[in-house]
Amino acid sequence: MREELRRPGYLPPMPRTWWLRTGPYRRFAAREFTSLFVLAFTIVLLLFLLALSRGRDAYESFLGWLDSAGAMALFAAILAAGLYHTITWLRLSGHVQVVRLGHRTAPRDAVTAAMVAVWLVVSGAVAYVHIWA
Amino acid sequence: MAERRIELHVSRYRPDRAPTPYVESYEVPYDDDTVVLDALNAIKDETDGSLSFRWSCRMGVCGSCGMMVNGEPRLSCAAFLRDLAPGPVTVAPLRYFPVVRDLVVDMEDFLEKLREVRPWLIREDEARDEPGAHRQTPAQADAYRQFSMCINCMLCYSACPVYGQDPEFIGPAAIALAHRYDMDSRDQGRDERRAVLGRDVGVWACTFVGECSEVCPKNVDPAAAIQRSKLDLAMRGWRAVWPLGRRP
Amino acid sequence: MAGASKPRPARGEPLAWALFAAGGTVAALLLPVHAAILGIAYAAGWLPSDALSYERILDLVGHPIVKAYLGVLLVLPLFHWGHRFRFILHHQFGIHGARGVVAGLCYGIALAGTAIAIFILVRI
Repeated sequence: MREELRRPGYLPPMPRTWWLRTGPYRRFAAREFTSLFVLAFTIVLLLFLLALSRGRDAYESFLGWLDSAGAMALFAAILAAGLYHTITWLRLSGHVQVVRLGHRTAPRDAVTAAMVAVWLVVSGAVAYVHIWA
Repeated sequence: MAERRIELHVSRYRPDRAPTPYVESYEVPYDDDTVVLDALNAIKDETDGSLSFRWSCRMGVCGSCGMMVNGEPRLSCAAFLRDLAPGPVTVAPLRYFPVVRDLVVDMEDFLEKLREVRPWLIREDEARDEPGAHRQTPAQADAYRQFSMCINCMLCYSACPVYGQDPEFIGPAAIALAHRYDMDSRDQGRDERRAVLGRDVGVWACTFVGECSEVCPKNVDPAAAIQRSKLDLAMRGWRAVWPLGRRP
Repeated sequence: MAGASKPRPARGEPLAWALFAAGGTVAALLLPVHAAILGIAYAAGWLPSDALSYERILDLVGHPIVKAYLGVLLVLPLFHWGHRFRFILHHQFGIHGARGVVAGLCYGIALAGTAIAIFILVRI
């Protein structure tokens, strides 16, 4: 690629494992990889609803799987990845969303704090409907 | 008081002597005020006059002295040896740019990209709010002020792994400066810049690693400029890249 | 993008990114609570005994608002994954598709998942 540009000078190619070499790059890669667990969650949720659509027996057998150690391990990984996605996403949203207050702008940390509050409220509402409503 | 000394491992590149860069070590005295740039100048003055590097203001406003200090993009005039002690300190040319000699890199790619985004006020008409002047409220000036602080030091390009892999990527500073003019109430060139930013090597190549904003010595936050440009383009939809059809 | 000498107009990117951003926000706000309830709280016995009973959940999912909610919860994060995974393949593993093959595969899987999700939700 650099050869095509015909620039003078010495430029080594970027190593394939560039994303393992510094702390910030590793944390970036970890953040990106959480998307695989987002996919895993979607698949599990689809299977849950599929079981529901198939009737009581299928659904209760799915609940039986949820009780297993394998399922708990999978969900622990999904939850950990999900939480890492959430905290990085909400922190970064402070960079993207400009909130005007009169003729001043809200500081980035305030936007993040507001997003965290929204997250907690929404999670609470979902939990209420899911468990008790 | 005993004189403090620290070792610098400086990357040298002398294509007339060797095909690849090599490291030379120097030991320099330092005190609480000595920065890496001072050390390099001391080396050049007293030990090795062949050492080449860029610098100018030595106070963090000209953007000339960017280089890799201990593996991070830094302004050498802002990297204090007291913070890097006991060392050794590695000094290398800015990453992801071709090295011309020692610590000097070829900047042409960046300069080309800067030109592409048209970093100046674009007007469709010559109208002014009053003879010879535009008017701008403090709020309007605030809208673009932070992005105008860019000193073109290119540290953000050295931090950006997308630029490292895909050198066609326009890059953080160019996008930040495009955004600076897009957000300026006096500017009327937003559509022209949208066509440049909306290309596959424009904002869409960015994956918000965020390191550009972390290394920026002037708190420009180019990552914010890029994401806001993505948001702007997404909201305008497909129409945003239509102007590519006509030659500006 | 990779190795392209001529920058090309990116007609699909605004939409792809919009879906990615929406999906990322949905996942950020909603994935943890759902994963905690279904995956941890249930097996740990922290939920009321009838919370996930067949009758109750069937009744809940039957509500059109809940179905719409589940539609959003299933579909948007799929496009978040597709977009991110496409860039993971490109940047972390050096897999560049010629003429957008990789992108097509990633968004294609997301579209397939969308179809499956709609099919299942309609059946309930």
